[in-house]
Amino acid sequence: MFSTNSFKKTSLAFLSLLGVFSFTSCSDDDDNVVSDDNSTTIPAEGKPYVMSMAIQGSEGNFTYYTVPFENLMEGTLSAEGQGFEQPGYYDFTQIDQTIYSIGGLDDVNVVGISKNESDELVQVGDVSYDASLNDVVNADENTVISVSMSSASDVVTFRKFNKNNVSAIETKNIQVSQFTSLVGPAYSGMVVTENHLFLSYYISNPETFATDYTDQAEVAVFSYPELEFKKVITDDRVGPIGGFNVKSGLIKDENNNVYAISHSNPANGFSEFTKPSGILKINSGETEFDADYFFDIEEASGGNNTAHLKYLGNGRAFAEINVASRDQQEMWSDGPLQSAIVDLEAQTVSYIDGIPEHPGLGRRLIALQDGNFLYTSITEENGLYVYEVNLQTGTAEKGAKIQASFPAGIFKL
Amino acid sequence: MIYKFNFCLILFFCVGNLFSQNTSKASLFGNIRDKAGQALEGVTVILVDKNKGVVTNAKGFYHLKNISEGRHNIKVSYLGFESFQKEIEFGPKAQIQLDIQLEESSFELETINLKGKSAVRKINEQAYTVNSVSTKALQNSTSDAKQILNRVPGVRILQDGGLGSDLDFSLNGFSGDQVKFFLNGIPMDNFGSAFNLASIPVNSIERIDVYKGVVPVWLGTDALGGAVNIITNQKNDFLDVSYSYGSFNTHRTSVNGAFTNKNGFTVRGNFNHNYSDNNYDVLVDKKDVNGNVVERNIWAERFHDRYRSISANIETGWVNTDFADQLLFGIIASGDDNQIQTGATMETVYGGVINESESVIPTLKYKKNNLFFEGLDVSLNSALNLVKNKIIDTLTGRRFDWSGNALDTGSETDGELGEASLLTLDNTEFTSQFNASYLFDEKHSLVFNHGFQYFHQERFDVLNPDRIANQFPNSLYKNVLGLAYKYNFNQNWNATAFGKAYILNLETSKEFDFGEETRRTDVFETNSQNFGYGLATSYFILPNLQLKASYEHTYRLPTATEVFGNGLFVTANADLEPEQSDNLNCGATYDFSIGEAKQHKFNVGSNFIYREAKDLIFQVVTLSSPQTNFSNLAEIRTIGVESNVNYAWKDFFELSTNMTYQNSTDQAEFTYNDFSGYQENLNLGERLPNTPYLFGNANARFNFENIGLDDSKLQATYRYNFVEEFFLSWSRFGNRNTKAIIPQQSSHDLELNYSFQNNKYNLGIECRNFTDEILYDKFRLQKPGRAFYVKFRYAIN
Repeated sequence: MFSTNSFKKTSLAFLSLLGVFSFTSCSDDDDNVVSDDNSTTIPAEGKPYVMSMAIQGSEGNFTYYTVPFENLMEGTLSAEGQGFEQPGYYDFTQIDQTIYSIGGLDDVNVVGISKNESDELVQVGDVSYDASLNDVVNADENTVISVSMSSASDVVTFRKFNKNNVSAIETKNIQVSQFTSLVGPAYSGMVVTENHLFLSYYISNPETFATDYTDQAEVAVFSYPELEFKKVITDDRVGPIGGFNVKSGLIKDENNNVYAISHSNPANGFSEFTKPSGILKINSGETEFDADYFFDIEEASGGNNTAHLKYLGNGRAFAEINVASRDQQEMWSDGPLQSAIVDLEAQTVSYIDGIPEHPGLGRRLIALQDGNFLYTSITEENGLYVYEVNLQTGTAEKGAKIQASFPAGIFKL
Repeated sequence: MIYKFNFCLILFFCVGNLFSQNTSKASLFGNIRDKAGQALEGVTVILVDKNKGVVTNAKGFYHLKNISEGRHNIKVSYLGFESFQKEIEFGPKAQIQLDIQLEESSFELETINLKGKSAVRKINEQAYTVNSVSTKALQNSTSDAKQILNRVPGVRILQDGGLGSDLDFSLNGFSGDQVKFFLNGIPMDNFGSAFNLASIPVNSIERIDVYKGVVPVWLGTDALGGAVNIITNQKNDFLDVSYSYGSFNTHRTSVNGAFTNKNGFTVRGNFNHNYSDNNYDVLVDKKDVNGNVVERNIWAERFHDRYRSISANIETGWVNTDFADQLLFGIIASGDDNQIQTGATMETVYGGVINESESVIPTLKYKKNNLFFEGLDVSLNSALNLVKNKIIDTLTGRRFDWSGNALDTGSETDGELGEASLLTLDNTEFTSQFNASYLFDEKHSLVFNHGFQYFHQERFDVLNPDRIANQFPNSLYKNVLGLAYKYNFNQNWNATAFGKAYILNLETSKEFDFGEETRRTDVFETNSQNFGYGLATSYFILPNLQLKASYEHTYRLPTATEVFGNGLFVTANADLEPEQSDNLNCGATYDFSIGEAKQHKFNVGSNFIYREAKDLIFQVVTLSSPQTNFSNLAEIRTIGVESNVNYAWKDFFELSTNMTYQNSTDQAEFTYNDFSGYQENLNLGERLPNTPYLFGNANARFNFENIGLDDSKLQATYRYNFVEEFFLSWSRFGNRNTKAIIPQQSSHDLELNYSFQNNKYNLGIECRNFTDEILYDKFRLQKPGRAFYVKFRYAIN
């Protein structure tokens, strides 16, 4: 016998099931338009410090989070539920009051992170490229400049960006053949002084990464702002300037003197070293190495050298000294490191008291100078910690724990 | 319990005392066919009281000898068909002919049909959790294997774009090498890209079996999360020709047929052609020459996305002869060329990158039931895959934007993917599947399988012949041995226990001192053995309520590249272990009918899944070094439920729905990278990113008979597909509003089919995504919008 009731019931059940489907299908269509319109802001009132941290999944992918914090010395710094998310590979560097994040999943974006008038973190700029950008450096009051340089490519590309809105204003392609006939110049450092752009590089086989040319330092000099190639300056007192991925081959001081760091460290990607390590100087306004200046960092540090330098002021710089001598270094390890303050004029190395020996990250140095203090991140056996260095006393104090796989930058906005 | 009586529908049978010969005892013989007159192979005919039985051969014939005098209860049963039972009086030397026509189990809906399995021969699979999808009702649609599979509970196919674009198949959270694909039992992992899920049209497919988590031994393979077996049309005489045309200049042709003469000589095969410009519109950002986005979300037409593929599969040999039930020599030849439009997201636009593949695959299939003696069945499936893949990136110094304009980058060496290259990958693979099964009696049976795979790859780059990574050929030998024992406790309860042995041998050679006098090639080798096991059982609590449970401890063996690396920056890891997983399924299905004449038919089913996968292989993360290797890093637990509800009213209306929820979580205690070493896993317990976890389908169909012409049918079908939004990266971190998401998707398809002269002439019209939703399977890789297709089909059986 046909039961009307049971039929009704079952029909209702089906209708409600369909209802679930149609309900979900009627949800806001605007959600479907995928675009990063940079409109989200992150409240940062009373939180002057900003940390970019990388979090690794067990599958090996990274996602980066940039989060504001009030204090770097207490508790745990976590990105749980907060901060700008950026999936892919990113590099962060602060120029003036903007953090430049360079990277992406596939294409390479340049996104500025800064504070607006309401004390919120905002993302500025909307620009992207197919080829990766190795670095962004300060060029002048209104301009930052980026460089794209791959040992597999025959072209180097500079791009100028307007600091105010992080928009690209000029692209300049330079043939590699203009400054070297060798295959494989790899980026190691860039600074812009008043009228010149200095670009340091080392020769690296694009396939094997072997470094077969380590007998002299080479720095390409370009005019600024025209970005015309001028010449290559060389010096055979040391080997190549800079190394793999750490981007600090060249630094400059407040007077536009440029310092060039040579280490040829196996720990930083050199398959051979044939010259002593040391620091050279290009005096302000000049475009040659100062033949009278040579900072023998091996002598000053007791047989070691550094691949990482951050200029602090008054001729002093923060350094991560590799405490393994070059013939003892493990290839590509970037460590073990000991933090120090070097005096580029007095040519001294003073190790910082209170920071344990730590592994190298192999990326851009993580260090924020805030007045007389410097904040860095140190990896210990049981996690990552902020260390606060008193630049006057040369001592350090352990701060907050960082809940991240590795730190990507510490900033203050 | 003789419950089957209630459902038994006998259309025709005759009992005759045809002839009497001088045999000592009585016997019973006859032919068993389905409603359409097709012979049914593997039907069991049992003398219930004597516990004695036979199965029909490929011609549907059975002969039960040595029957003692008296009344005997005869039972005829076949999975997917209503069973038949009758008492017959046998005289002392009676020769009784009993021809039976079985009716298919009356409940038939598109996604849940479990039918047409040759009973005892393959009965060992029936306790496994399998979704067997018949394509019977889809023959006039423009669907392909991918679209059919995408409607199976637990299955999600994530596609990059339109026809021919890359797709990721995932089954209960497993993907890539963890799920194995077969074409008629032959592994098709290395058939070449022209022979993929999206290029096999529905007309070449009879049904698709999806085994979830627990894979029967006769598909001898190392699948971590399950297997998919695509079965092509197995009929002996038929022709099916179809052509469809639609949006984005898409043309698809499919010719399928078989001819068999009375001696059993047969020629059969299929030919498929696919073409599409895939020039659908996508939402992109417009950029100026300096890379600034000047306009957001503008529509642009894809301009470098043409796909064309052609494949032919011809087999010839004999069927239903004395020496073989099936002996077929075949060849599969296929080729495709695929323009690549974008990188990992639509932000990267290519205008010159092309992938090409060609493959030639000779095959051999042999099958004989009752070889040497009754109850011993053997089969052998072998294939030699010769596949050449090319990645062409030879256009230098160009960057394309979405208007199709090329910007000069000033380079003479940079292609669009990196340094310009023309890379050829030469793959040679030999696979062989040998199966033997023995049926002791009604209660006991045994199945043995030996699966063998040899794989060898060589790489050559025309533009960079000396590249070290290309001088690193590698080989893989894989043996999988399986043994399954099945016991039928009674009519309602059976259980299968099985064990598998995985034996792997990998070899690579590395050239040293290239170009020097000491130039030499060293061979590296590694071997491993692993043992898996499992259990599958099925129990009918009620005639129409079946419970199933299955469990397997299974392995996925590493590939040669994972073990040996690429000779450059992916270094070898000789200690690499296979991935392993414990997979458990528990499910129930219930059929019932209500109403007058039981015209409201229901089928509900639910399946609970549990997967605990360990030692999952990933590339080790390195920060300070470009050097890496593969290692056993991750652990993932998946807990999920799949449910389906199907309803049919007479022959007029059908509705089927299914929903899948699967929560895959990261269970690795530690993560590892070269900088921090082993570190607390910050995502412990979190749901895996970039993986759909809640999705469902619904289909509704109306059938009208004799509209316009006599012997005509009109079908109207509506399909709905839903996927909940999911995150690209781990959910725990970051401000929710800034997180990258793959948005929620709902798509609606409509289809209208008209057939006349008993399905000989068919016309189908389809509108996919008729609401023109913006659809994404993958992050920022937009799929086609609204599209129309028309299909003409001619079919004779």
